[in-house]
Amino acid sequence: MTPARMAVLRTSLATLLSHYRRHPGQLAMLIVGLWVASALWSGVQAINASARDSYARAEALFSSDLDSITRRDGRPLSLDDYLTLRRAGLRVSPLVEGEWTSAAGDTLTLIGIDPLTLPDDAPLGRTESSAGSLRDWLLPPHRVRVAPDTAAQLNDATRLPPLEIDPALPPGTLVTDIGVAQRLLGFEGQLTRLVIAAERSAELPAGFVRTSAAVIASPGQLTESFHLNLTAMGLLALVVGLFIVHAALGLALEQRLGLLRTLRALGVPARTLIAALALELLVIGLVGAALGIASGVLLAQALLPDVAASLAELYDSNVGTTLALPWHYWLGGLVITLGGLFSAGASMLWRAARLNVLALGQAQAWRGRLRRQLGIQGWLGGVLLLVAALLWWRLSGRAGQQELALSFAMVAALLLGTALWLPPLLAGALRLAARRLRNRPLAQWAVADLQLQLPRLQLPMMALLLALATNLGVGSMVGGFRLTFLDWLDQRLLADLYVRPPAEQFDAVRDWLIERPEVATLLPARSSDATLIGSDSRNAGGTDTATPVKLFGIAPEPILRRHWPLLDTHAGREAAWRALAGGEAFINEQLARRHSLAPGDTLRLRTAQGTRRLSIAAIYPDYGNPSGEITLPVTRLASEFSAPPGSLGVVLAKDRASRDALMARLREGLAARFGLAGPTLIDQRSLKRSATEVFERTFAITQALNALTLGVAGLALLTTLLAQAETRRAQLAPLWALGVTRARLVGVQLAQLLAAATGTALLAVPLGLALSYALVAVINVAAFGWRLPLHVFPGQIAVTLMLALMVAALAALLPAWRLWRVPPRQLLQEFAAS
Amino acid sequence: MKRSAWACVVVLAAIAIAVLGWQFRPAGEPSSSGYAGLADSSGDFAVAGPHIELRFPQDHGPHPDYRIEWWYLTANLRGEDGRPFGVQWTLFRQALAPPTALATDDQPWSSRQLWMAHAAVSTPSDHYFAERFARGGIKQAGVRITPFAAWLDNWSLMAPPATRGLEHLEVTAQGDDFGYRLQLTAEGPLVRHGDGGFSQKSADGQGSMYYSQPFYRVSGEVRIAGESIAVSGRAWLDREWSSQLLGPGQSGWDWFSLHLDSGAKLMAFRLRGGGEANAGDYVSGSWISAQGQVTPLGDDQGDEELRLTPLAHSRVAGRRLPTAWRVEVPGHGLDFEVRARHPKQWMGTSFAYWEGMVAVEGSHAGVGYLEMTGY
Repeated sequence: MTPARMAVLRTSLATLLSHYRRHPGQLAMLIVGLWVASALWSGVQAINASARDSYARAEALFSSDLDSITRRDGRPLSLDDYLTLRRAGLRVSPLVEGEWTSAAGDTLTLIGIDPLTLPDDAPLGRTESSAGSLRDWLLPPHRVRVAPDTAAQLNDATRLPPLEIDPALPPGTLVTDIGVAQRLLGFEGQLTRLVIAAERSAELPAGFVRTSAAVIASPGQLTESFHLNLTAMGLLALVVGLFIVHAALGLALEQRLGLLRTLRALGVPARTLIAALALELLVIGLVGAALGIASGVLLAQALLPDVAASLAELYDSNVGTTLALPWHYWLGGLVITLGGLFSAGASMLWRAARLNVLALGQAQAWRGRLRRQLGIQGWLGGVLLLVAALLWWRLSGRAGQQELALSFAMVAALLLGTALWLPPLLAGALRLAARRLRNRPLAQWAVADLQLQLPRLQLPMMALLLALATNLGVGSMVGGFRLTFLDWLDQRLLADLYVRPPAEQFDAVRDWLIERPEVATLLPARSSDATLIGSDSRNAGGTDTATPVKLFGIAPEPILRRHWPLLDTHAGREAAWRALAGGEAFINEQLARRHSLAPGDTLRLRTAQGTRRLSIAAIYPDYGNPSGEITLPVTRLASEFSAPPGSLGVVLAKDRASRDALMARLREGLAARFGLAGPTLIDQRSLKRSATEVFERTFAITQALNALTLGVAGLALLTTLLAQAETRRAQLAPLWALGVTRARLVGVQLAQLLAAATGTALLAVPLGLALSYALVAVINVAAFGWRLPLHVFPGQIAVTLMLALMVAALAALLPAWRLWRVPPRQLLQEFAAS
Repeated sequence: MKRSAWACVVVLAAIAIAVLGWQFRPAGEPSSSGYAGLADSSGDFAVAGPHIELRFPQDHGPHPDYRIEWWYLTANLRGEDGRPFGVQWTLFRQALAPPTALATDDQPWSSRQLWMAHAAVSTPSDHYFAERFARGGIKQAGVRITPFAAWLDNWSLMAPPATRGLEHLEVTAQGDDFGYRLQLTAEGPLVRHGDGGFSQKSADGQGSMYYSQPFYRVSGEVRIAGESIAVSGRAWLDREWSSQLLGPGQSGWDWFSLHLDSGAKLMAFRLRGGGEANAGDYVSGSWISAQGQVTPLGDDQGDEELRLTPLAHSRVAGRRLPTAWRVEVPGHGLDFEVRARHPKQWMGTSFAYWEGMVAVEGSHAGVGYLEMTGY
């Protein structure tokens, strides 16, 4: 580029930018739009990136091509077992794994390894190749490897060997030498499992079983749905933010059309003008992205502990509570923000490029353009809604994990399609209104004026629609889930007190409890593990899998039979319970959905006691449980599957004294006779409380993001109104000149906006309900494996409507107040100018 | 097998550096650790010396108070069709800390003893090897005196039940693509090297306790890539322990164990570096008559002269190694060339070295093994 053209570019850029000096509000609106869009998006992405980093570390550590070998009889492995296999030439390596509680009360996974026998490139065995490391590792005081984020919270210098920082380890995990781990965990002489390189085939002696690394579920897969959820929320925020940007850019162009024409007439080439505009976009984009990414990281830091807690509760996976951001995160944030900005600015550049130098301001031309634009929007929206309907039809009934992305696409199409329909609908409503208001000039003027404002207002109104609909949809999904969940908790947690005695005391405690007058019913429970190796389903044919499942044993006492929730049975509730007693099984909804099982189908299980076939009598809901579960009578679990003693649920007698007194007496007795106290006794109330806490925490993020989105939509409205305030004044000045008081003008303004907001909110209600239904019927099923009934909360709908009006009123308040304060002289001037 | 061996090198590089400080230093720069840390000063470990008398069978067992020890078997074999094969079986013991350290020898999982085993088969044109590790205290590896047994996992060198000593042994090991099982019968006595079993390794006077059983007749089978080959020939067992094998500045060694067709045997080594300005190689050896009488050879006063001269070099694993030698013992009229059967007999283990079968031609003919470390 020649210096002369550079000078032209510089001058044009300076001229274009001078517009923002005269209208700082527009610049602020642009930057704010970019800022919020990029902040929410980068915040969500930061959370996802950190969590994925944690999973990647965990996956690399645990399922990195290491198969596990355990004893067939389920007993812990001994040193002799290890030596037997090594002497047989099997290249197994011993591993000790357990939960270790730090002085601060944090529970960490402690893994003990033998670096000398660990298969070659296992990440567990990776040691820093600093001099003396193996010697330090094997000899007192030994070493313990820990991730930097976990090391920061650990200060247990007295009990732990010196720390070695290893960024490759997952959070909450300590790795040390096997001897040290045995001592710290109190596992002297015991091994948790033996590992062997997955590619190494081996003839195992009869008493051992090998579990393939592939079968061990990876946290990444399970949690993928959760992150997709977050990403979808982030994307929504980005879209809403970009609406603001688009509105601001359109306004800035509109007002500079004259300026652009002048520049062109003065001889600035069209290409230079476009370059200057693009440069302006780039500068603004960089500032917005920088601000956005910085605040996104802050936002993520605030939300991450909640996300980590949710993931831990939901999927039992460890996520670090400090951010770990890879380089591509920063780059990605920048690209998304700039990409969004340019996509929003593309129409501005396009219009500037096709600028007609000779055309004068055509005040009436907008009408034709608007009608054309509304037509296009109607068509586009219709296509999107059709896509949504098609996807819905395809997804209804059979939503698996892999359908999740499609489900989100459906929701996106539904939301965008409806949003595109909003302006044509509003325009139609206004036309109707205009016809009815023939006899009231001011009202008629207000309607016509609102039509004039529509091109500007449509984007913030669409943003408001999206925010309202998601708020409503997610709100009623969460509300419905809460109702169902609490109900389910009441049905499942029947006992007043849960006792978990040590295995050797189990029988004695049970016998003692049975004799007590305070106890009405005793509900023992046990659990064990098995592998589902296949099923014979009437609907889906036979399948062969190898999925770990949990076996759960319950006592089918009358009280349990009355309350235990069942979703689907083969031949009615009573028959199902009889079938359970007769050797059939109940399975949870997750298992049923994942393997397309229905009552009447048969399961094939591999257990430590050999393979078993079980017929399915019923399916029960099991919210909050990530894995498949099979329920059998507890007696059968003990006798046939040698499940270790579990817990004893105590249902207190109803007619005697108060619950608290009975409970206290029972606790005293258990403490005095068996020394049972503390964590071995769990009150039903505290159990419910903690379950509810988990629930609330799980949806805390969703609700936080929801509220933020609504805030952004409000902001969009406010900035639009502020930006056009001056233009509006010029349009209001003639009215004032005709004798309409400022108070009435303010009133008209407020009424206009409230009317638009009401229209938007009315559309948001059905959209929100549709969204809610999509969430409970499609997305939840795909993400979690359970389906919830749809609940409609009229109160919530009313609140949402109120919220919309409040947001609109708040946004209109500042411009209205300004109008109120405008001196008549200025209005007069503007009237004269117009 | 090659892949996993290299992965081993990567993963256990820590061991190499930690335990042994594996490094190559140019001559002239005093090194305190030498090849595989074997020049580390003995510290609180027991020290080998000429005053120590070997006692059998006790000394067949481990000497945990010394830093390093090995049971080292090499065999020169022929298939029924006359093709030459070589077999190596080695068990190394390494003490990570002197006996005064906190860790004990027999506490499960917290022993200060580390065991390492190497096994290899050389074919006329190829070389297969594997290595294993174990810690002490859990009986995954160890050495029992009576009846003799040395093992790590399922690799073992073992005497039959109710025998004493090393007269009859069976050795076995399996890698991923090779394996062997050989029966050994001693046809001669144990041989003490150096001064009654103390083998000096530098002019400074430090060295190792060192004896051999070079008179094994061998038969058995070697398995390579699924093919079983019946073999027979000779084997040589070295027993050596020390707390400081190399002197300061010594970087490695070249070691010969040769079976001459006359029935006599020659053990010879050259330790490179050390001495004045690290320029003085230290040469030593034993001439062993067919009946087992030992004549010390080498640099020390009163020893017969021994000359070891590299004749040709080969490029192996990125290193330049002397794979052909001239060996001269003028006092016994020995002047012959020792040539590697092929240069590919590289042990790419955590501590890499060259160990392979050689052929003897010149004034005498025979077979043997050559070991070269620290290149």
